[in-house]
Amino acid sequence: MPDRETRGGAAPLSLMPAPHLGVGMSTVRMTWLVSLSLLPAAAWGVFLFGSPALIVLAFSIGAAAAAELAATLPFGRFTLRDGSAVLTGCIVGLLMPPGVPAWVPAAASAFGILVVKQTFGGLGRNWMNPAMGGVVFALLSWPGLLSQWIAPRGGAGEAAALPPLEVLRAALSSSGSTGGTPLAILARAGYPFSDLDAQVLGWINAHLPAPLGTALQPGTFDVLAGHVAGGIGTVSAPLLMLGAWFLLSRGIVRWHLPVLYVGTFGVLTAVFGGLGTGQGLLAGGPGFHLLSGSIVLGAFFAAPDPVTSPLTDRGRCIFGIGLGGLTFFLRFFGSLGDGVAASIVLGNCAAPLLDRWTSRRIIGDAHGRAV
Amino acid sequence: MKYPTKLPRGGVNPPSETLVPPESGIANAAVPLRALIPLLQHSGKPAICLVKPGDRVGEGMLIGKADGSRSANVHASIPGIVVEVRDHCLPDGEVCTAVAIELGGEFETSGRPRQPREWEKLSRLDLLDRIRAAGVVGLGGASLPTHLKLAVTPGSSSSILVANGVESEPSLCADAAILREKASEIVEGLRICQTLLTPARTVIALGEDSAGLVHELEDLIRLKGMKGEVAVLPSRYPHGHEQLVLSAVGGGDGAAATVVNVATLYAVFEAVVLDKPLIERVLTVTGSPLLHPRNLKVRIGTRIGDLLDECGGLAPGPVKIVMGGPMRGVSVDSLDVPVTKGTSGIVAFAGAAARQAAELPCIRCGSCIEACPWDLVPTRLFKLIRLGDAAAAEREGLSKCTECGCCAYACPSRIPLVAVLRDGKRALRGTDA
Repeated sequence: MPDRETRGGAAPLSLMPAPHLGVGMSTVRMTWLVSLSLLPAAAWGVFLFGSPALIVLAFSIGAAAAAELAATLPFGRFTLRDGSAVLTGCIVGLLMPPGVPAWVPAAASAFGILVVKQTFGGLGRNWMNPAMGGVVFALLSWPGLLSQWIAPRGGAGEAAALPPLEVLRAALSSSGSTGGTPLAILARAGYPFSDLDAQVLGWINAHLPAPLGTALQPGTFDVLAGHVAGGIGTVSAPLLMLGAWFLLSRGIVRWHLPVLYVGTFGVLTAVFGGLGTGQGLLAGGPGFHLLSGSIVLGAFFAAPDPVTSPLTDRGRCIFGIGLGGLTFFLRFFGSLGDGVAASIVLGNCAAPLLDRWTSRRIIGDAHGRAV
Repeated sequence: MKYPTKLPRGGVNPPSETLVPPESGIANAAVPLRALIPLLQHSGKPAICLVKPGDRVGEGMLIGKADGSRSANVHASIPGIVVEVRDHCLPDGEVCTAVAIELGGEFETSGRPRQPREWEKLSRLDLLDRIRAAGVVGLGGASLPTHLKLAVTPGSSSSILVANGVESEPSLCADAAILREKASEIVEGLRICQTLLTPARTVIALGEDSAGLVHELEDLIRLKGMKGEVAVLPSRYPHGHEQLVLSAVGGGDGAAATVVNVATLYAVFEAVVLDKPLIERVLTVTGSPLLHPRNLKVRIGTRIGDLLDECGGLAPGPVKIVMGGPMRGVSVDSLDVPVTKGTSGIVAFAGAAARQAAELPCIRCGSCIEACPWDLVPTRLFKLIRLGDAAAAEREGLSKCTECGCCAYACPSRIPLVAVLRDGKRALRGTDA
């Protein structure tokens, strides 16, 4: 080629294919921002349950990172910087009860990274969410160890070392005690809520006119604020929602899937959740069930994992609705934890099918578009 | 003013790199001391060279004769002496003959008032011949010889003629500038096209940034006794694309439709009314490394390095220079590349934007599907092509891809989707042959 010369002495001009602009968000940034958005909930868990929670988180994240290194370094790749392994470790740790022996979250993380993710080729190629796979693996393997809870700081002492959801389920299955909202059943079962709960609710009931003449039930504040026993990162729904709001506002998570997931679960619980307590229809106490267990973490942080959820918004809508139904079913009629991890894993299995159903068809398009 | 009812889906909204002040005019670039004029500046066959080294050429003299109907004439953009006729490699990799002219002698036409010529009484064929002789090609990017576009059977009742004033790419604003400065000439060019095509509807489509011109254009249309509407389209890339503009103004249903870029209309006006061949064009020179980005009127054959110098020059360090716009433009490896008829802009990038980002695995986020204006599933096409199955990608619509770049722009994993899809098309052509 004639007339080709670079600028005298200056660096050569770079050549690359169009387009020459790119969107501001990158996969790496996205992944780390999801981990970051979980930080408030994690900090609350560590504050509430002390050093055991910190140890669990350290082991789950450390094991995830170590497993990622072990699976990729021999092949000359260093994928830790993409943040996905650390995120998996984060979610596994946050779903664990604080009293669990530290090797259990480590095993769950390692299983998630090595078996669920890396055997299929690493980031982007796994068909099941690694964190959820790891948690279900642990739930199936060591169900007893996964119910070692710790009483929250500032709670009613050792008596409050069980999560309200567990106590509710026990009360319903053993005594068949009937009647009332979840909080009323807990109160009858003698669940010890904190002094703070009593003070705050006392003040509110005294100073604010309650709608329809009802007073807030004991436990409302504890459950709402996440001041109870529970999973390290799942007790505080408000702090999780703070992180979720960040993800939604930055466009990292699209709203369709999580909103429909939570919505479907909430509606089903409201309509049918009361059947087990003998309340009949429309008396399920959806608020309690949405705030307890890991549904907020599952719906906003695990289920929208792009790798294992459907490709299109239409697919994601169906996915979210399906997960809501599945979680409702597993929580009220199942035995595998609170049903969130199990239903996300089951949903992941269906995601490719949803892709097939909801992808645009270019040739032979049934909708008469774009042929 | 009529707003479109049918908005195309997809597309992206890159933050505009346009650093050209919005109301700035068009400046004349310095006349180059040496012009390198490739004889392939249009889609079709290269023109046949009519000159040899040592020949003296005048301003606007024919130096390349169209080779058949799917080709276009090429003229000398400066007066002077032909110093070289040789093979030249265009930025897209095609090789063609190019004529190098060294400036000398008198400007016979520039700077002198031209007498407008009567054209209303000319026959269709004479009108088309004036446009063909002047070497007018589409200036919006595709560079199709304009006389081919205008030579369609006239008078079909469903036909629509659209003057496309929607910027073809983000960061470029030459179309808006030329609309502001040459509105009357452009509308006259549109009237010429109307005479040729006798369309049922005529629409001037503007981008949002030109919305202020609606009344002026409507007045001009009325003054000239034409029938026509002005539509304002939302600024979103790639909605300046012919097909998308057409569907937005309600003419995309397979009816006979002609879309002509506004800069091309100005060239049509100059060719028919002023008897002036296409030897210069307006383009945007912009980018963060440049001190004074602006719209320049440039002689064909000017070295892009001279234009960058005129806009403040480049700092040392890694730089990327793109001919065309930031979404579809071609990066070049030399500052000696000449401006051709199809050069709609020159964009400079520095720093991180000048380096190729590392590719990460596809995380199936679906951003590319959201962004594709043609209803394709780029991630799936990409995976099929990487697996070596371009034929399956073709069954899923690969040939509908216009390489607009929206998918690759939207990809958070920085996968060069356009480059891969282009590879797939190349593989298909290979198997066909």
